[in-house]
Amino acid sequence: MRYEAPSSSKEAAKLLASAKGKAVVLAGGTDLLVRMKSGAVEPDLIVDIKRIGATQEIKKSGNGFKIGAGVSGARLGKHRALKKAWPGVVEATNLIGSDQIQGRCTMAGNLCNASPAADSVPAMVAANAKANVVGPGGRRTVAVEKIPTGPGKTSLKKGEIIESITLPAKAPRSGDAYLRFIPRTEMDIAVVSAGVNLTLDSKGVVKKARVALGAVAPTVLLVEDAAKAIVGTKLDDDALAALAAACEAACRPIDDMRGTIEFRTEVAGVLARRAALTAYERAGGKK
Amino acid sequence: MKFGVGQPVPRLEDPRLITGSGRFTDDVNLPDQLYMAIARSPYPHGSIASIDTDAAEAAAGVVAVYTAADIESLGGMPCRAVLKDRQGNPCFIPKRPLLAEGRVRFVGEPVAAVVARTRTEARDAAELVLLEVEDLPAVVDLNAAAAAEATVLHEAHGSNLAIHYENGDEAAWEAAAAAAAHRVQVSLVNNRVAPSPLEPRAAVGHYANGTFTLYNPSQGAFAQQGVLARAIFDEPLESIRVISGETGGGFGIRGEVHPEAALTLFASRALGAPVKWHGDRSEMFLSDSHGRDNLTRADLALDESGRALGVRIETLANLGAYCSAVGPFVPTMAGGRVVGTVYRLPALYHSVRCLYTNTMPVAAYRGAGRPEACYVMERLMDEAARQLGIGRDEIRRRNFIPSSAMPFVNHSGVSISSGEFEATMDLALERADWAGFERRRRRSEGLGRLRGIGLGYYVESSGGGPEEEARVRIHPDGSAEVIVGTYSHGQGHETAFAQILSDTFGIEFDKIRFIQGDTAFVKFGGGTGGSRSSQMGGIAVKRAGEGVIEQGRAVAAELLQSEPGRVTYEAAVYRLDDASAQVSLADVARAAETAQFGGEGLAETHRYDRGAGTYTFPNGAHVAEVEIDPDTGVLHICRYTAVDDCGRVINPLLAAGQVHGGVVQGLGQALLENVVYDTDGQLLTGSFLDYAMPFADAMPDVDVSFNEVLDPNNELGVKGIGEGGACGAPPALVNAALHALASRGVTAIDMPLTPEKLWRAANGLSLQERAG
Repeated sequence: MRYEAPSSSKEAAKLLASAKGKAVVLAGGTDLLVRMKSGAVEPDLIVDIKRIGATQEIKKSGNGFKIGAGVSGARLGKHRALKKAWPGVVEATNLIGSDQIQGRCTMAGNLCNASPAADSVPAMVAANAKANVVGPGGRRTVAVEKIPTGPGKTSLKKGEIIESITLPAKAPRSGDAYLRFIPRTEMDIAVVSAGVNLTLDSKGVVKKARVALGAVAPTVLLVEDAAKAIVGTKLDDDALAALAAACEAACRPIDDMRGTIEFRTEVAGVLARRAALTAYERAGGKK
Repeated sequence: MKFGVGQPVPRLEDPRLITGSGRFTDDVNLPDQLYMAIARSPYPHGSIASIDTDAAEAAAGVVAVYTAADIESLGGMPCRAVLKDRQGNPCFIPKRPLLAEGRVRFVGEPVAAVVARTRTEARDAAELVLLEVEDLPAVVDLNAAAAAEATVLHEAHGSNLAIHYENGDEAAWEAAAAAAAHRVQVSLVNNRVAPSPLEPRAAVGHYANGTFTLYNPSQGAFAQQGVLARAIFDEPLESIRVISGETGGGFGIRGEVHPEAALTLFASRALGAPVKWHGDRSEMFLSDSHGRDNLTRADLALDESGRALGVRIETLANLGAYCSAVGPFVPTMAGGRVVGTVYRLPALYHSVRCLYTNTMPVAAYRGAGRPEACYVMERLMDEAARQLGIGRDEIRRRNFIPSSAMPFVNHSGVSISSGEFEATMDLALERADWAGFERRRRRSEGLGRLRGIGLGYYVESSGGGPEEEARVRIHPDGSAEVIVGTYSHGQGHETAFAQILSDTFGIEFDKIRFIQGDTAFVKFGGGTGGSRSSQMGGIAVKRAGEGVIEQGRAVAAELLQSEPGRVTYEAAVYRLDDASAQVSLADVARAAETAQFGGEGLAETHRYDRGAGTYTFPNGAHVAEVEIDPDTGVLHICRYTAVDDCGRVINPLLAAGQVHGGVVQGLGQALLENVVYDTDGQLLTGSFLDYAMPFADAMPDVDVSFNEVLDPNNELGVKGIGEGGACGAPPALVNAALHALASRGVTAIDMPLTPEKLWRAANGLSLQERAG
């Protein structure tokens, strides 16, 4: 097993592209190291991306926030401007694992682990986040919802890494929120979850909306019908019912010990409705 | 007396434990030790066709691989339950081998032990052991196990029924039922739980110079020594020394000898080196004893005014694939001693069918049978109150055994010595503001939430084995040493027993040294379990201390050239009754070590015998108040009140700690915890992700108080407090949830009350979460 810690994304991409056998990217390591310890994966090459400057930064610009792939949940949670702009995304990321895990886990890692139940992903999808990908062929920018293609699978090509994630600049009168359901109160994996991001007009009417659901399909879902159900409304009861119905219609969950299809489907609607109300309030909407 | 009985003395053991200097079994490492790993059956049921150990033996670092064929000289793990059915047939107890013999009967059953130079090598090699079986159908469900056509786990026996235990009078019940104005029936699941002490099991076995030494967590070293010597190795008691340093939780299941511990000793003898085994968490889910697992149908007959005329309780109890050390004792006699709990029941019939299934054996778990017995009665009382339209407190009031009737002999012939059930309940209702509930309910309703309040009254019969021994010695420097056969694995005996001795001798608390858990010193003792330590160890310690004072009085009399009758003792000083002369306890101890006084020193061993068939009866009223979000099924415990009668409270801090622990484990069982085997016998709950133990932040502040009704049968007046919380919490919580769901037409629900189950109940959906 070879361990490399390059100082640039280009170099990392080159190492991964030329690797023979199983090559993996190490950021926080909260998924990878556990899998290695249990023998589920035995990599031939580990490329640690934490020495790459760009993976360690949170950069604020006119275009929003660029969050490095090595930035931990704990750092996000301490970033005031980010928390103010995207409270839903930060809260979602801060739900991952325990305090100890928060010191290591990353949004990009959560995305690339490609679990449909990943906490930060529905919030990022709702926020319209973009992944900044570096590969042997250069750089490209991809909507985060296009990264996971199924449980444990991503659209990243051989040699490609996510260097950072961009959250757009917060539009005026906008707000986001994320809620998940777990049987316990923490340190658990979402049974169902919902992220909502809204922008209001000056009268408090929803102008734009993005609604994403987690753990109800092989990948996180961006539910356009759910967004349509609330655009042009002030989240009155009918709009919320239509939102919930659209979410339920989009669900294709599995049935397991942690939650039945019925429960996941209906609670997806409940969570979307509640997340929408929180996002609406954060956007300055008054009910 | 600042450190005496009744004082909230902080635990002496805590500085050591919270700074990481406690010595647990995994901290024990001996020179040249080897490591053992266990290959376990992945199959729930099958005849063993072959166990191929060639690859494991050839693996790097491997020293030895053992299967059942290699350990034929060893006995199996014994079950100490002695039971007969009404026809006089003994309970069928099959041999439980250390390593599977002929068949595997549950997933996780040990099949081979691999010993290697390092832990990793041992574990890697264990994976190379190839077990081939001819599959047999797995019997998982209790009803299926009881069916005539069921596959039989222990073929020679012919059925899966270990024993059909009966108690009471069925004809009297029939007559009561026929005369009843009301009949109330419940059908209940007491779910299987994984007790999960935080410290996974570990063992270091060392055979040298003809003596075995076993380091391992336990609930008392002496009992383990006996099992290893008599049942497993057939060696003299003194050839085996058991040392339990710190033990990270027991809850009943650390009271048994486990196969891995015995195997480390066997391997050490065979290989001439110490052998260490350390299980991990997943292994604990597979191979640590489980708890509970009963299906019960109960029927209560009442007269017009809601007074009980009789009860019929019929239970199917899951033993697992073999008997644990206590096995069928738990669901039958252990719980049966308090069958009917705190209520007057003119007629009673109790039937328990103990059944084998292809699952991990079930053992004693915090309360062991009593929580199950209390759960049945408390669910019946609430259901009766609902059907008869009587207050839930009122129906209990009408049926409690009054304190004036004490001692009260119940249907098991057990004499309940004391208790003020109504007064204790009233204290709890007042502290819980039972009367003000409606106001709080309306507030919750306004927020779209369902609020409920529920009661759980419990009684236990405590004490375990009727004998306990303590040895107290006064050293020439005036300090005391106490050796006792109970074993603190978190309870704080070091503190509590020092308080008792501090009271007895009038010496300072920090002059008392506490020794337990090592058979080199502990020559007798029942260990800790069944809430017995304060009443058994406590009395033994107190009486041994008093014996020392008496011995010292004789020595002092001689030193003071007087008669023992003229010598008084107080605060470490012997005085003549006219105060003309005195001698210190230390001087007396020094003198006692001289040849003039026999040279034995000032020491007394006392074996306390409580008397077979006698128990103490801790009891209490617990009140839970909950709020349920009907859209997600999330339940929030708003308030929890416990009023316990554990007799005299030796240390309120320790007692409250026991209440907290018991309540939280009871709430865990009621809300989340559930061991699930699928229909094929595979364990689905193999980690803390799928086996949901509650986190601290989901637990309420428990309002703890005591109604101290002294036990009349022991001089400390103590009853025990270790298990009450686990008895009171499940019915209090479930009754509260049912009360909350009453407006949605829900009248029955089974533990655990997972959010999905509550959501289904609140929304009128079938409670069957998944087929199978």
